[in-house]
Formats: sequence, structure tokens, C-alpha cells
Amino acid sequence: MKQAHCIFEEDDHRWLAIARDPSKPGHIIDTNEYVVVKGKEALLCDPGGIEIFPSVFSALSAECDPTRLAGIFSSHQDPDIISSLALWLEFKPELKCYISWLWQSFLPHFGGEESTFVPIPDPGMTISLGGLELQAIPAHYLHSSGNFHLYDPKAKILFSGDVGAALLPADHNGLYVEDFGRHIRHAEAFHKRWMGSDKAKRDWCERVSRLEIDMMVPQHGAIYRGADVQRFINWFSALEVGVLRS
Amino acid sequence: MNAPQPNLHVKARGSSELARIVRVNEEIKAIVATAFRINLMALNAIFLAKRAGNAALGFGVLSNELRRFAQDLTRNMSSLRDMTSGSVGSVTGVVQYQRNSAILAEAIRLSGEGVPGAREARRRGAARLSAQQGKLRALDIRLRSAVEETQQLVELGGVLARSAKIEAAYGGTFSPALMQVSTDFAEVIAQIKRSLEILGKERLVKD
Repeated sequence: MKQAHCIFEEDDHRWLAIARDPSKPGHIIDTNEYVVVKGKEALLCDPGGIEIFPSVFSALSAECDPTRLAGIFSSHQDPDIISSLALWLEFKPELKCYISWLWQSFLPHFGGEESTFVPIPDPGMTISLGGLELQAIPAHYLHSSGNFHLYDPKAKILFSGDVGAALLPADHNGLYVEDFGRHIRHAEAFHKRWMGSDKAKRDWCERVSRLEIDMMVPQHGAIYRGADVQRFINWFSALEVGVLRS
Repeated sequence: MNAPQPNLHVKARGSSELARIVRVNEEIKAIVATAFRINLMALNAIFLAKRAGNAALGFGVLSNELRRFAQDLTRNMSSLRDMTSGSVGSVTGVVQYQRNSAILAEAIRLSGEGVPGAREARRRGAARLSAQQGKLRALDIRLRSAVEETQQLVELGGVLARSAKIEAAYGGTFSPALMQVSTDFAEVIAQIKRSLEILGKERLVKD
């Protein structure tokens, strides 16, 4: 059963990680969902697929009033990211969904009206949440051609979508990366295959190196903290991507 | 994940509704194909009656009527087909709302009934589902009345086929050939009657 873990808290500003679900069916990839709460507003990052909606909803409701959800940030268009959209809208029809402009006309196949979608332009944009200024950071081609990450400069947290994702064995249930060397082995094949552009990867590494990041929270696998964030950026920068095997 | 069974149940129910639409469409397609066959058969019968001359004047008139019947039947079936095409959208809507409501209900159950916004979400979902089901019921009534109208038309076709059989008996040397044609007419019309009976029993929405 999924549970929400508070990974950052400062006054009325919180980050919740709904991460690692050991009881989910084996044929569905495990996903992490994150909720940014500021005052009376909340933003859900990559809410996940239809099949896990009940467990994500109940985990979120245990820690945060779901009527406070103001929007959904969708890093890209994949089904494990956003196919539950219609269900969230069933609960709150006025929710806004932030997504790359590239996918604006594709996502309505999962649900939503024209007014649901807020297209994010290629260079990114600022998303206001209860006085916070969250930044949609471009991560195009990593792996989707219209892809964004979300940076919270106050909490110094970067939600990095599929970048940093690791397909961990069942017994690696920890919320955080504890041993970078061991952990990254489970991320290597994923990044080589899913990340399609070396140039895009270098651009991203440069871009995020300029940010102050205490935590990098990916959509699959464990969370990188402290020095592991820069370790990951260095590792990723040196990794050959866009290859079938090597 | 927690208890996915309720969702699977909804999927199965939804697919049975779509399966009903598919069955209705298949019957309609079968009748349209048969109506096309009657049209061709009637054309052949008209030529045959012409060759038979004065002995098959009555048969010729009936063949013309049967051809007109086939054209009327095709028109009726095409309007029935339009109706069922439209119903696919409504059925899909019902299936989608049922599925979403069931998953949302499961989410609320897991979270505890006191979740803020749960009651409103349920009420909204129920209203949408009921509106969609209302559309489907209205369509079902229209479809049934169109099937009944077509059944009456086919009764007339049956009478024409029987009369053609009687006229065939006066066809002189052409009598066996005319008899064969009129028997074929009767068989094909009986086939349409059976299809319409099946159609008449199908419901787009369960009562």
C-alpha cells in the first residue's frame, strides 16, 4: 500500500513523496508521485496511471486535503505519468494540468477539457502555488521530446521525472539512495535506453548544475540527497545514452 | 495496489454493453446484405417475367414491388445503423463514467468516507452517469420503434413473396423457374424476419 512521506517541511510548505509500493502488481512499473503543498494549495507531480489511482488518492488524502489540489504537473505524456488524469478531474473538475505545449492536444485522450491544460512553452515557465514560484525546467528528449522537470527554489528540490530513475529490485525499498555506487547500477540500463539525446543530456546537466539542489526526486526509484545529487549529475554527464546495448 | 477487483468488474460490465452494440450492428449488417440480395433477385425476376411474357404479367408486377420493398428495407436499415453508430458514443460514455466512478469510489473507500470533496465528487459522477444512461435509454426506445416499423415492412415483403409464389403457378413453361425465384424470395424474407426478431430482443441498456 502506498504511503505519503513528508520529505520537506517548513511552516506551511511541504513536499510529500508517495513512493515505493511493494504491494503493487508486478506487471505495472512502480512509480513515485510527489505533492507540493503551500498554504491552502497543492500541486501533484506526475499523478501516475489509472490502476494505481486509488492507492495514490488515499495516500495523498491521509496527509493533505485533496480539495486543496490546484493543479497537476505532468513531466511528459506517458501513461504511467498521467493516464489517471480523468479520475483526478472526476474528483475536482477545475484542476489545471501543466504539460509541455507539445502534448497539449494529445493529453485530452486521457481526459480533460480545453480549459484543463496549461501549455508550458519550450523554455519553461513559472508556476505559482500559494505564493511559491515553482519553475518548470526544460528536459526535452529526456526522455520525451516535450519534457519538463519542476524546481522548487525554496525547498531546493528538483522533481526530475524519468531522469535519475532506477528500476530497483523488490528488496530495495528505501525511500532514499543510501549507497550511490550500488544504486546507480539499477539506473544505468534505463538511462542508456530511455534517454535519447547526448546533446540534450549535456544541456540538462549544465542547466541543473546551476541550481541549488538538496534533493533530486525521480519518478521511479529512490531519492537522491545531498552530495548524491551532484554525483548523479556527474555520472549522467559521462554516460553514453541513446544506445540499445553496450 | 489495493483491491483492484472492483475495477475489473466494471471493465467486464462495460465490455458486455459494447458487446450488445456489436451484436446489434452485426444483425443490421446481415439484414442490409440480405436486402441487397433481394434487390438483385427482384431485378432477375423482372427480366425473367419479361421473357415469360403475358403468362407472367402478375409475377412481373410483384417483382417490381419486391424491388421497391428491398429499397425501403435498405433505407430503414441504414437509419438503424446511424442510430447504433451514435449509440457507440453513449455506451462508451456510460462505460467510462461507470469505470471512473467505481475507481473513485474505491479511492474514497480506502481514504475513509470523511475525505473532503468526496460527497460532491460522487454526486457529480452519479449525475453525469445518469445523464448518459438517459441518452442511451432514449436511443434504445427509438431503436426498438424503428425495428417494429421494419418488422411491419417485412410482413408486407412476406405477403409479396407468397403472392409471387401463387403467380408463379400461372407462368406456363416458365412456372418452375418462377416458382424457384419466389421460393428464394420467401426464404430470404424469413431470414430477415429472424434477424429482426433477434434485434427486437436486444437492449442497448439493461432495464
